Amino acid sequence: MPLQEDEIRWRRLIEECFRREAGSQAALPDATQDLIETGLLDSMGWVSFLRTLESTSDRNDLGSQLTGRIPSFESILLVFREARAAGRPLAAAVPFPRQVAEPGPVLIAASSVALGSRIVASEEVDKAFGMPHGKLRLRAGIESVAYGAEKENEFTLGTRAGQQALQSAYCAPQELDWIIATSETHHAYPSLSAQLHSQLLARETCGALDVGGACLGLLNGFAVAQALITAGKARSVLVVTADVHSHVFRPGLVAGEFGGLFGDGASAFLLRSSSNSPAQVGYAAGEFFFGSAGQYMAAISVTPAPAGGVDVYFDGEALSRAAITKLEKVVVDVEHRSGIARSSVKGLATHQPNPRLVTLLAKQLDIPEDKFPVVARTFGNLGSSTCGVALDSILRDTGRGGERARAPIFLASLGPGLLFGGGWLVPA
Amino acid sequence: MTKLLITEITRMGPALCVIGLQRDKDKIHSVRPVSATANSWLHFPFYRGDVLQCDLAPFPGAKPHIEDRVSTRGFQKESAVSEAEVVRYLRKAELSGSLKELFGCALRENKDGSGLFAMPTEPKRSICGAETQNLRLELCGNELRATLALSSGEVLRDLPVVDRDWRDFIDAAMAESRGANRVARLERFLNSQFHYRILSCPHHFIRLGLTRPYHDLCWLMLDTLFPLPRPEWLEEF
Repeated sequence: MPLQEDEIRWRRLIEECFRREAGSQAALPDATQDLIETGLLDSMGWVSFLRTLESTSDRNDLGSQLTGRIPSFESILLVFREARAAGRPLAAAVPFPRQVAEPGPVLIAASSVALGSRIVASEEVDKAFGMPHGKLRLRAGIESVAYGAEKENEFTLGTRAGQQALQSAYCAPQELDWIIATSETHHAYPSLSAQLHSQLLARETCGALDVGGACLGLLNGFAVAQALITAGKARSVLVVTADVHSHVFRPGLVAGEFGGLFGDGASAFLLRSSSNSPAQVGYAAGEFFFGSAGQYMAAISVTPAPAGGVDVYFDGEALSRAAITKLEKVVVDVEHRSGIARSSVKGLATHQPNPRLVTLLAKQLDIPEDKFPVVARTFGNLGSSTCGVALDSILRDTGRGGERARAPIFLASLGPGLLFGGGWLVPA
Repeated sequence: MTKLLITEITRMGPALCVIGLQRDKDKIHSVRPVSATANSWLHFPFYRGDVLQCDLAPFPGAKPHIEDRVSTRGFQKESAVSEAEVVRYLRKAELSGSLKELFGCALRENKDGSGLFAMPTEPKRSICGAETQNLRLELCGNELRATLALSSGEVLRDLPVVDRDWRDFIDAAMAESRGANRVARLERFLNSQFHYRILSCPHHFIRLGLTRPYHDLCWLMLDTLFPLPRPEWLEEF
């Protein structure tokens, strides 16, 4: 790309980030103006502005590069120019706003879900946990939860979802190069991926890998699958999430305000190399990015209890606030990194801690709530499968709507830590 | 008369903010002497560790700066204590091992840019000490920033370092008279064994503070970091 075009894009990025810090109505300074000396920003605002630029341009060393220079637009442009001259052009690394990302080489070829077969009204859950009638519905917005039947567990639900996904893509299990599983409730060995490997009858040389991250697990799985395919180490990867909370968060073991939120479910996605896909349909994976906001680490912890069961600590208020703040930030980052306006997406497959938070998030992002598929309200918080069930719902809706219904999809999720991650899919 | 041990002097722009410890029966707590006309001092001719005699009157300052006291007469230096002794007293004052207990309220993350803040009506105080598991200093656009892990494991990222001695040290390190590649040399020093030296110091300790409402929010900052920088460190890089 010619230098002149890069300069225009850099300036636009700098101006957008400046206005995020100084206010949308702030007048833009001259390029050489010292932003601190002239009082346009104070030192805290200057650093905040640089951090915004760092995250949107993916240049984590920007602040460091600007040390010893005058705090001005011109200094920032100079760093960008130097990076370009040194062969580290920003434009190639990260698409800037309004430069819509091209489809990547990894396709989501098929998806499926398997939910706990017992749909239980939230009032029944209230009663089981000894909570006032209607508490879950009124406080969290949960109308019902999906509970696994006696013989349903992570393995059976995951297998069902996996088989359905493979069948819908006409993919024989022998074609799989890797099975990647994630679950926040399965802690036994053989691991979930190994059990799925056996049950799905994958070939012996197909790898089986379990990834963590709790509710972020699906995105972790996608990132690993994408890396394997992009590196040429795999052509077909099955990513499976499966969470059966009702066996772990039982009444008497955990508080209803926490345990009552969760349901049981699984999701499965077949990711394939575009060169290996029979037809160039479906969605292509964009980029995935991750991080961990350690200041929220104490907001939730789940640890094994000495006498069996689990010890759960959660600070509901802090967790809700952190979840909204972080999810909003991740979605904004997805928008900046992808160059896709949030208003133009088909839907957002995000984690849904509870329906009230989804409503709040939609409001914060100024997005219609119907862009978020209904998951938590009907099935409860499904852990790593929430994002999967939401994504499957959007993909199915897209399939029914024909070509015109195809639009990009945003992904965003969180896990205890506070782990966070985001990404996007674009029509292939 | 009040006896005040000066524990922190912070610098933001040209203004200095002074914090000290006062003994009240069995308790030691922080107070922030302010002049009758401003919340800060443009000139403060004393140093950390100085024990001053002064007259301080309660001041109906806005929350959360409940530590504010108006100085009604000049300061008189009585004696001085060592840096390690200052930390010994600080450990007996406001102390927290977790994020939530620092100021008795939730700290929120800035949605854009960087930093943590509290809503002005929520904090119970504006100063608190803490032990850290780990700490890292970095430069961002001429500003010294700290990332640290509290003893609870919670991580506070990208806090502005406002301690006068640390800021003076950075200014001295960046002085033109120190020759070429000053930024790179300083960064290399900050990223070297230096941080083990800080963490392994027996009186390693930090104090965190909240700014006065700025854009309607109180921002978290690293008020001070012990041990304090030594002039001889400048000879090392």
